[in-house]
Amino acid sequence: METSREDVGIAIRSAFLKKGTQQRFSLFALIVFSIILIYVETIEAKPLDYLRSFIKDTIYRGSVVVSLPSKGFKSVVSTVANHLNLYNEIIKLKEENAQLQEQIYDPGFLIFENKQLRQLLDEQVTSSANFVSARVILDKQSPYLNSFIINSGSNKEIKNSMAALDGKNFIGRIVDVNFFSSRVLLVTDLNSKIPVLVEPSGHHAILSGHGTNEPTLEYLPENHKVQSGNKVYTSGKEGIFSPGIPIGKVRMGTEKIFVSLFSDISQIMFVNINLGDKNN
Amino acid sequence: MAFSFKEIKFKFLELIPLLLLFFISLNGNSVIDFKFFSINVHYILIYYWVLKQPQALGYGFIFLSGIITDVVFGLPIGISALTLLIIASVAAYVRAVTVRPSLLYDWMSFIPALLIANFIYFIALYFSNYSIDYLYFFKNSIFTFIFYPFLWVIFGILINFTKSGSHA
Repeated sequence: METSREDVGIAIRSAFLKKGTQQRFSLFALIVFSIILIYVETIEAKPLDYLRSFIKDTIYRGSVVVSLPSKGFKSVVSTVANHLNLYNEIIKLKEENAQLQEQIYDPGFLIFENKQLRQLLDEQVTSSANFVSARVILDKQSPYLNSFIINSGSNKEIKNSMAALDGKNFIGRIVDVNFFSSRVLLVTDLNSKIPVLVEPSGHHAILSGHGTNEPTLEYLPENHKVQSGNKVYTSGKEGIFSPGIPIGKVRMGTEKIFVSLFSDISQIMFVNINLGDKNN
Repeated sequence: MAFSFKEIKFKFLELIPLLLLFFISLNGNSVIDFKFFSINVHYILIYYWVLKQPQALGYGFIFLSGIITDVVFGLPIGISALTLLIIASVAAYVRAVTVRPSLLYDWMSFIPALLIANFIYFIALYFSNYSIDYLYFFKNSIFTFIFYPFLWVIFGILINFTKSGSHA
């Protein structure tokens, strides 16, 4: 019995403490160092933040370079698939064209009205808010976080908790800011909880991500009148985001109330970051 | 000239596990998602090579690879590094106590490696206030375990190539 215990002890010592053949570090030392790193991650200090930013920026750039072949391969596959579908698409387009030719009428008034409404919308948004556009450099949808890495950070005055938009639709918020990059946590992520307003009923709720394409509405009042097709906007409660940013449409499930997002998150290449009110 | 080319070729074969380790970390492919299941290739790679050829994957590189995974996935720095080192520790212990290695023995000893690593992973994420899908991780662990023999065979072929090269 004594010998068996000694054997286990020797095996553990050999595995953990000795450096082993051609190993520069012992496992035990590295495990302790990892635990220290996890603890250090919770400490907020300027020098540590700079160091973290530097490490993250460097790794993101490396990751972009390493992802190039797989991105190139995906692009080739997509190009080939598009070429293969050309014939079917031409037939479909010809049919659509024929239908449109039949329905054609003078759209002058609609163009004018549309232009005016667009101007009005632009004025409403740009007058109160300040946007920065950024390119998505990494969109690794991990099982842990549904997030993007964008190529702007504190160098463009981006800060934590700012709203990220696709066009004018809300898609997530900033959760990690480095010098030249930031992480956008998408509304679909398990850790995402956004205060929202459902129109036209006017109910306040929390939009909660589940790692799937459709987040759900939670904390609605018991006798709510939310129906399929109702629009969901940011409520601006808690003062985190501007109110009235469109998010999606309600889809009633059997047990949960889902929200179909206005933006297709898998297709986003550029995002707008809402830097907040210009006046503040 | 032909000799030096051969030498370079086998040197490259020896480096494949290390290149693969950094490729999957930087490319964010640690967990490969299929339609109905997912596999943690990172765990299998580290467990296999630490068990069979520890000189091919240094512990320092495993640590570094974990740090890269954390940054790419947006997790607190150190969590994946700790988990991967736990997998490496179990593999190193199994290597130290195994007299006659076999697929079945390696495969069964992969269970405690997965259990301990995932337990530490959950604890670390829990204290970092990260919500995770427990069912997803349960399924991922099961399929990582099931998939182990497939990669065991593939990596075995790679080891045979390397050995035949070094003996030639």
